[in-house]
Amino acid sequence: MKRVSVDIGGTFTDCFLVWDGQYVEAKALTTHHNLALGFNQALKNAYEKIDLDLETVMAEADSVRYATTLGTNALIERKGPRVGLLVTAGFESTLPLSRGRGYADGLSERMQADLPMAKRPDPLVPIPLIAGLRERIDTNGNVLMKLIQDDVRRQVRKLVDQGAQAFVVCLVNAVSNPSHELLVEEIIREEYPSHMLGSMPIILSHLVSGRKGEYVRSSSSIMDAFLHQVMYHGLSSLELNLRETGHKRPMLVIHNSGGMAQLNSTDALQTIHSGPVAGIHASEHLAEEADLGNVICTDMGGTSFDIGLVVSGGVKFYDFNPVIERWMVCVPMVHLLTLGAGGGSIAWYDRMHHTVQTGPESAGSDPGPACYDKGGMQPTVSDADLLLGYLDPDNYAGGAIKLNPRRSKFAMDEALCEPLDISVTEAALLTRQKVDNNMANGIFQELRTRGYEPRQFTMLAYGGNGGLHCCGIAEVLGIDKVFVPPFSSVFSAVGAGNMHQLHIHEKSLYLTIYDSNTSKLFDDFDHLNQIIADLEEAGKNDLLRQGMKAGQIKHRLEMDMRYGNQLAQTAVVSEVNRIESRKELLRLIGVFARDYGKRFGEGSQAPEAGIRVNTVRVASYVELDTVNFGHMRKPEGAGNPVKKPKDIRKCWFVGHKEALDTAFYQAEDLKPNDAIEAPAVVVSPSTTFLVQPGWRLIMNEQNAGWLLRVDQGN
Amino acid sequence: MDKIEALEPNDDQFDEETMMAKFLEETTLFLGPDPEIMGDHDLAERSDREDEAMKKVTDPATLAIVRDRILAGANEGFEMLENMGAAPGAKWGDLVTGVFSAAGDLAISSTGGVLIFSSLVHHPVKFINKYWRDEPTVGIRPGDVFMHNDARYGNIHNTDQSMMLPVFHEGVLIAWAGATVHEGENGAVEPGGMPSSAESVFDEGLKLSPLKVGENYELKRDLVTYFQNTVREPKLQYEDMKVKMFVCRRIEARIREAIDEYGVDAVIACLRVGLEDTRAEVRRRVSEWPDGTVRYSHFADSTLRENVMIKIKLELRKKGDTLTFDFRGSSPEFANRCNNTVQASLKGMICQLFLAFIWPDLPRCQAAFAPMVVLTDEKSALNSSYLTPNAQSMMTFFPAFTGAQIACAKLMFSIPNKSTKVVAAWYDMINTFLYGGMTQHGEIVGNVCADINGMSGGAHGDRDGENAVAPIFATMADIGEQELVEEEVPFIQIVSKRLLMDNQGMGKHRGGMGYEMMVAMTDSEQWGFMVTCIGSKTPNAAGLFGGYACPTYPLCKVKGVDVFEMFKSNPEDFSYSMIDVMNNQPFKEATYSTHHMGLQYELTRRGELYMISQGAGGGYGDVLERDPLDVMRDVEEKLTSQTLANNIYKVVYDTETLVVDEAATQKARDKERAARKKRGMPFKQFCKQWSTKKPPANIPFYGSWDDSKLIYGGSPEETMTPDTMRSITMPHPKDVRIEALEAELEAAQKKLARSAKAKAAPKAKAKAKAAPKAKAKAVRKGRKKSR
Repeated sequence: MKRVSVDIGGTFTDCFLVWDGQYVEAKALTTHHNLALGFNQALKNAYEKIDLDLETVMAEADSVRYATTLGTNALIERKGPRVGLLVTAGFESTLPLSRGRGYADGLSERMQADLPMAKRPDPLVPIPLIAGLRERIDTNGNVLMKLIQDDVRRQVRKLVDQGAQAFVVCLVNAVSNPSHELLVEEIIREEYPSHMLGSMPIILSHLVSGRKGEYVRSSSSIMDAFLHQVMYHGLSSLELNLRETGHKRPMLVIHNSGGMAQLNSTDALQTIHSGPVAGIHASEHLAEEADLGNVICTDMGGTSFDIGLVVSGGVKFYDFNPVIERWMVCVPMVHLLTLGAGGGSIAWYDRMHHTVQTGPESAGSDPGPACYDKGGMQPTVSDADLLLGYLDPDNYAGGAIKLNPRRSKFAMDEALCEPLDISVTEAALLTRQKVDNNMANGIFQELRTRGYEPRQFTMLAYGGNGGLHCCGIAEVLGIDKVFVPPFSSVFSAVGAGNMHQLHIHEKSLYLTIYDSNTSKLFDDFDHLNQIIADLEEAGKNDLLRQGMKAGQIKHRLEMDMRYGNQLAQTAVVSEVNRIESRKELLRLIGVFARDYGKRFGEGSQAPEAGIRVNTVRVASYVELDTVNFGHMRKPEGAGNPVKKPKDIRKCWFVGHKEALDTAFYQAEDLKPNDAIEAPAVVVSPSTTFLVQPGWRLIMNEQNAGWLLRVDQGN
Repeated sequence: MDKIEALEPNDDQFDEETMMAKFLEETTLFLGPDPEIMGDHDLAERSDREDEAMKKVTDPATLAIVRDRILAGANEGFEMLENMGAAPGAKWGDLVTGVFSAAGDLAISSTGGVLIFSSLVHHPVKFINKYWRDEPTVGIRPGDVFMHNDARYGNIHNTDQSMMLPVFHEGVLIAWAGATVHEGENGAVEPGGMPSSAESVFDEGLKLSPLKVGENYELKRDLVTYFQNTVREPKLQYEDMKVKMFVCRRIEARIREAIDEYGVDAVIACLRVGLEDTRAEVRRRVSEWPDGTVRYSHFADSTLRENVMIKIKLELRKKGDTLTFDFRGSSPEFANRCNNTVQASLKGMICQLFLAFIWPDLPRCQAAFAPMVVLTDEKSALNSSYLTPNAQSMMTFFPAFTGAQIACAKLMFSIPNKSTKVVAAWYDMINTFLYGGMTQHGEIVGNVCADINGMSGGAHGDRDGENAVAPIFATMADIGEQELVEEEVPFIQIVSKRLLMDNQGMGKHRGGMGYEMMVAMTDSEQWGFMVTCIGSKTPNAAGLFGGYACPTYPLCKVKGVDVFEMFKSNPEDFSYSMIDVMNNQPFKEATYSTHHMGLQYELTRRGELYMISQGAGGGYGDVLERDPLDVMRDVEEKLTSQTLANNIYKVVYDTETLVVDEAATQKARDKERAARKKRGMPFKQFCKQWSTKKPPANIPFYGSWDDSKLIYGGSPEETMTPDTMRSITMPHPKDVRIEALEAELEAAQKKLARSAKAKAAPKAKAKAKAAPKAKAKAVRKGRKKSR
């Protein structure tokens, strides 16, 4: 396998190069003005490590894959065209009102609770760029009012006069009957033909999502329209860069649905958060390869703590209405929970309960923690870690950032020690204990609302601060094994290297499969199977368009099911791709009942209220080769004892009254199966691993490692 | 309650008082709401067990960690409830979960959901503790499931159903787990759970005093069946009872795990310490406010059946660490209208004010309101008695909320340490449609549109309020997606969300604006709508510091039309503006009418139009200080009309380019300022000109006028004092109408009779005169015929 995988983040461009069994990780600064420069540099940093040259790599690589935050940045910076929105008349304020709750989508719970401070984000489409069209279709797709063509022309011109540079058309119930949206497109094309300079992109909502919900569908379509240009230019320039450097195959872009595709089968919205999703995908791949069982993926960075979930048995967790930046959308995205906890989380005095709280406010990277010495005056989690002795002030982030412990002490003293009348060390310990508990509570809630117990999981810890806090979090959760994956500093790029080509198509429908009023079971199987066939066809076409062979294509059928009128929709993976008989339908109902009972409690099922299918979803995919990481399984024994290093320092730990002598190791000095006894700190250029008392670290290949709770039989 | 040992009839070892107590206990007809429980919103006394636990576990950091863990469990339950719940309310945030202390104080409430429940759901738990614990036929045992929805025993109104599970440790009750959802349908006289035509508590549907509905974590099927038979949506009743029980079980499991990990003392202590800490913090915060008194009177302009003026009088006094909300002098209660508020509900609503609008950083627990004092007159609309209906208590306690919001804003304006901003009044009314009938899927339903959550925000000191953003009673509530609603019910919103021009509380910064709605039924054998709002005559949201109040809103109807036929035949002629529809009356043969927003359940035909608007938030500051560019932005966005821009904001601009003529604007504003001065008068003169000693006779006025101890009951002659307060009985509007029509008929008949008599007199004279001539004519005619 010869493969280049890249994750373009806000600060760094990460590269993971696989070359005939050699795995190389490398980083370079992201070059926002021209992403290709950062890409080239990161790639260069990688291939030079194994004595290759650019021409060889580009010519011989089987694929080049990208995960990018380009879209997220464009949203934050509001870099996009003036989008004109055409909606059904009477719904002109649906978007500006954002379901009411849009004032706080994407904000912390604290801000959500503060109504006087409620303020919606600056809109992507301002009110003057929204126009209503005279038309109406009902829920079953019947036309109540025909589209009035002259009215469309009037409204389109009005929007163009207002400066519209692109159009989104989102008409009510267009997913039941798209004829009006298609007609609007035709009219706009008549007015602004595609071969003319004045031609403008048009996005029809029913093509962006097959799900009902006029607000979320319009916000999804707008985001697509808004990002289209910037993403197109950014990604096209990258593809052009590949061509110029000798790569002949189409570039592959990672999707937030957990798959990837070529540019001609990618819409802008699918690329948002693709980096973190790729990280979860890498975890899934590792879980399979190393037989990890259920895995909770944790990525603790400077400002946030991302949690992902991978469970055995093929169950996938999606967010069907994820919030992107500040807007709720309706594209299926691999589930990812982000908590406001990271190295930069601010520790503050909780006057009410006379103790320490942390976050969700963060010092970010600028000014950053007090110890960064860049003007930050408030104590943070990183300051606590420094004061407890875990961080090397002169060698943090590979020596890139010099830390000033005096600043940490000062900030801690002023903010916490004075009101609590405790020492700096005590304040730092309380800070650490609190943030670890906060993150653990996030994981508790995340797993338990889905019917899982943390103790049944292996924790995967990556991200800059993951290795420092994973033992603390795991202890609270009762988890006894933590795996620090290989190439953890470029883990998203690693995930990109293992993706399959995949497309998801779905359709909303009102399908009562068991009517408890009449005790009748659904039997119009032809109708249902036709819907499934249409969705499979759409996915198949996506893949054929990218040169896949029909014989390679597989489909996975999922149905969102619910009892009665509940909001909960359980995504049930069907064992068969067509429902041909009542027996098969009853089996599907059985799987639903099993999954539902697992999540909400056995006996909580309520088929007496009827059973419905709300969405039919088909994932069409082609499985590609994946990276083999080698032996990553949990070690059987206690590992090989390692000689204590000379670098022994005093570190403080939660639950210990005195500082403990703690050994500091350099990661490059360690070999697979080396066992590091606690307390210890292992420093690598990209991260730091803390082996807390009660734990043991057994090194693995590729700088991976197992942190195992010694007193739990490991 | 201490049990009294059995006494022999002739046993004279006990004193009279004890014997009397026993006699009364033995002869209690039934256990109504306990005034001792319902009147007390403070925390229960710290128990010996709590005291012991607090001595054993003293580390605040440990307690905070245990508290967070239990909160995570409550949030987990909340997420389950939101997902599993079948009620529309569960889907748009009208729910809550929580953990109570053993005594029944709500100690930890879920982060999301309806805040008002935070100080309301403890009463039924306390009732259960007091009356059912030692009652041999009930008892409290592990696995028991209790339920409640009667607001007279706690909570807001009986559309909200609560479930509670006791949590035991080694045989000792240590906590309660609870879940509450606004269920909607409850079998009342009208569908949807919030009847406005209820004339007695017996019209309000299912009313459950706290009762046991399950044992060993199983719901009792006989009771569930009974409840299902009592309401219009048996599926909903069944599903959500089951859901709430499983949610409570989940929370109970999390409490148990916390006990396993940290010990039972840590759990007991963390609940109690959290409550006591919060109460102390509230006292500290109150003490930062300046001492003083603020008065604000607000009005409810309807009982939902008739136009009246119901006074909500508030005097807010701050002294030291005590805030006293004195509502005495407010309107009397109504014996046969359901707009009465149980005093506990009033307290819950004011607690909501503090948790969402004043100190949103406080923990969500009952203690947040514990130190406040609330004074009301008994038998008043804000402290109604046992037999008065209360399904629409919002119609009096929402205005009370607004009064408190304005009064608090004035008191806290100048303090340096605020947890959030001071804003003008939030729109406080549920301008939405309730509906009921047979769906396209053959099911009977009754519920309310999610637009109930579309209340607009009050203006800020530095910016406009948010348009239709969140209800006063919940955060992160949802106004929903019409496409999803239309799948379930047989009506569509023709106009769903369209901000209504000039619908704003004007000011230097305007309040958030509301949107108009136009609905029509598409296809059902039987379907009807309701609207249950006040604010058609007097505004619901007040302005602040010179800002205007919101407008008033009518309900508009067009009957005798099938609008969908017009969609087919003349789609270009259809107007999406309720103002144009009502003014231009485009449908021939149709009937157009406007009403106050108290529409009792009314059957509708396909295509008939019902139209209302969401309300606006209050404005902040003087309209003449509004930045002309803000006015122009609103004009461009069609939120402000040219009339308003010119006449209220006094902005002069080019109507084509919207470029402001700054000099002319300044001149226009100066002129208006001068005119204001000219219109002004000394206060004494104003009082002389405007003040009267009694309320006007032509307005049905309820409440005190200028003396809070003299309360009027609908006319200047009908007076009472707090001690002699009595319920007001209103005539049935149909009777009033019949009476009026009968009077009209009688008058018309009399007039007709007089007119007939008057006409008859000369005719008779003439007839008498003409009789010989007629006879001669008849004879001639007869001859002619025979020829």
